Amino acid sequence: MRPSPKLRPTAWDGLVVLCVAALALGLAFFQWRGGTSEALTAVVSVDGTEVDRLDLEHWEGPQVYTNNGYTLTLSGIRHNDTENGVWVAESDCPTQDCVRTGAIFRSGQSIVCLPARIIIRLEGGTPDPDAVDAVLG
Amino acid sequence: MRRLAVSILLTALLLSGCGAQMSPDEAQESIQVLAMDTAMLITTYGERSPAAAYACEDAIRDLEKQLSRTDPDSEVSRLNASAGEPVEVGEDLGVLLELAKYYHGSTGGAFNIAVAPVVSAWGFTEDSFQVPSQAELDGLLELVQGPSYIGPRSSGGTICYSLGPGQAIDLGGIAKGYAADKIVKVLQEHDVPRANINLGGNVLAYGDRPDGTPWRVGIQDPARADEQNAFAGVLALTDSFAVTSGGYQRYFEEGGKRYHHIIDPSTGYPADSGLTSVTVVAGLGGGDGFPGTMCDAYSTALFIMGEEQALAFWRDETQRGEQGCPFELVLVTEDGRVVVTPSLADRFTLEETSGYTLEVVPS
Amino acid sequence: MKLTTKQLTLCALLTAMALALSYLENLFPLSLAIPVPGVKLGLANIVTVFALYALGPGEALLILLARCFLGALFAGNMNALIFSLLGGLSAMGVMIFLSRRRGLSLYGVSIGGAAAHNCGQIAAAVLTLGSTAPLYYLPVLLAVSLLTGGLTGLASACLFQGLRHTDLMKG
Repeated sequence: MRPSPKLRPTAWDGLVVLCVAALALGLAFFQWRGGTSEALTAVVSVDGTEVDRLDLEHWEGPQVYTNNGYTLTLSGIRHNDTENGVWVAESDCPTQDCVRTGAIFRSGQSIVCLPARIIIRLEGGTPDPDAVDAVLG
Repeated sequence: MRRLAVSILLTALLLSGCGAQMSPDEAQESIQVLAMDTAMLITTYGERSPAAAYACEDAIRDLEKQLSRTDPDSEVSRLNASAGEPVEVGEDLGVLLELAKYYHGSTGGAFNIAVAPVVSAWGFTEDSFQVPSQAELDGLLELVQGPSYIGPRSSGGTICYSLGPGQAIDLGGIAKGYAADKIVKVLQEHDVPRANINLGGNVLAYGDRPDGTPWRVGIQDPARADEQNAFAGVLALTDSFAVTSGGYQRYFEEGGKRYHHIIDPSTGYPADSGLTSVTVVAGLGGGDGFPGTMCDAYSTALFIMGEEQALAFWRDETQRGEQGCPFELVLVTEDGRVVVTPSLADRFTLEETSGYTLEVVPS
Repeated sequence: MKLTTKQLTLCALLTAMALALSYLENLFPLSLAIPVPGVKLGLANIVTVFALYALGPGEALLILLARCFLGALFAGNMNALIFSLLGGLSAMGVMIFLSRRRGLSLYGVSIGGAAAHNCGQIAAAVLTLGSTAPLYYLPVLLAVSLLTGGLTGLASACLFQGLRHTDLMKG
């Protein structure tokens, strides 16, 4: 015979609620700290869908992405020991625009590979009021 | 049971409260769209920013479906394949063909969407680059300079256009500008307070930045085309379109010579006018209702014209006052100068490290 | 595990009810109020809670598996299977554990189950997408699970209250 369930909330239920709430708050705090500690993040999207967020403070790569029959190798790079960035180290796409773009270091910059339909864009980081919002050309 | 119903109701109320907590000024949506052979970045602000951004994407995709030269089912492809037969066109293509006809006239033929067969002969349509023979170019130029398309003809409530045999049009020089014009309407419909739209070199600076200052739009230094953050200068823009055309954007090299993608319709060869890039800027209200399309068309045409003709054209259009379509220019020349029209002078900052000298056109 | 005809019938009935509840909650998408992917009321959890107490862990697990496979089959979406399986099994595991704690009521068990369900679903998202991005949603989902878990706890409590005098509860 199974124990019949208690139908009214008990003090012990409060403990479960507290555990779940603590877990939620802890995770949120962890993310909030990660989010505002100027962590420059490379957001990789394939065919318009975000597939990866790479925290450049810790990530070094390389990471391989394959789409539309082409393969890119994304790699982390460190500039002057302070600036973190990413670059496409290798690609078998015909245009090689993604490789020619070189390394990107600042929030808002992006590397685009049209043949593979892959976009790598930097987000976060220290906001720079002098940074441009858009580039013509 | 009543207690259950009340709890459900309360919970639903509580939850819907959570959803509306976002501060309307902070809300922002940024999406990337690969369309029209380029990477586009759409950033909208305000409460309805996600809906607005996706509506912008829909508008772009819708236009691409009609205007693509590579999609065999597009209206443009059907027109190009029609061999003289009239083809029914939708509203967008109809408007674009009429605008193209107008820009063709106003620029004295420098803007010409019928140059498509020549562009294809150079391999810029299929990425199979080659230098065509003079004989081939001569033959194609006859097609380009003849009456390029006939219409509109309405038959039974539909609007038809026809092209001569062998003729073809390519709207690559105005499609993105037209898309930017459509996007302005989408943004207005969604009450978007500010947005930053970059359709692969066609920038729409809508409203101002969240910090209340103008959007900062960098003009790529043509001499350092492969470098990011290598600017000839930076424009401070609010409620404006800006479009840049330059030979550095697409080119190939053969026999030690560089051939770029902006073909002069009068010679059939890549334009060699002494300019390395042309940026056309216009306010949201200008350009006869299509300021974005105008900027896109004129940036190409003025690149072909060269500095002297371009400035003369600018002067004519500015002096026509109400009848004219006012726009402003930033020209980058091969001999290391950046030429800016006067009313843009205080909105343009030369990049010190670029090594260019700044010239302001006397008003 | 040997099932009597009555137990088997009850299992089948509960599976059908769980499927119906899953369908029902799709008609009122909670994600409209809270714009986070994966937000759900988790009404089918009521059945799991009920089965756990009225029949036992083995039968509850059977019902859960049948619901996940049939649900994925009906939706024609085998991708969704890993989500519902990981979510459902996590919830089941936690609820079996919590239901053995004497001090806890249906509310505590349901809330724990709902939280575990969300953790399982996020784990499935992390696995299938190969990215840790879905973790971003976990705090919100956990907070919401307090409410949805409380709600399913309330519903189960009403259910047991109503069935207290029937012989269903005697197994």
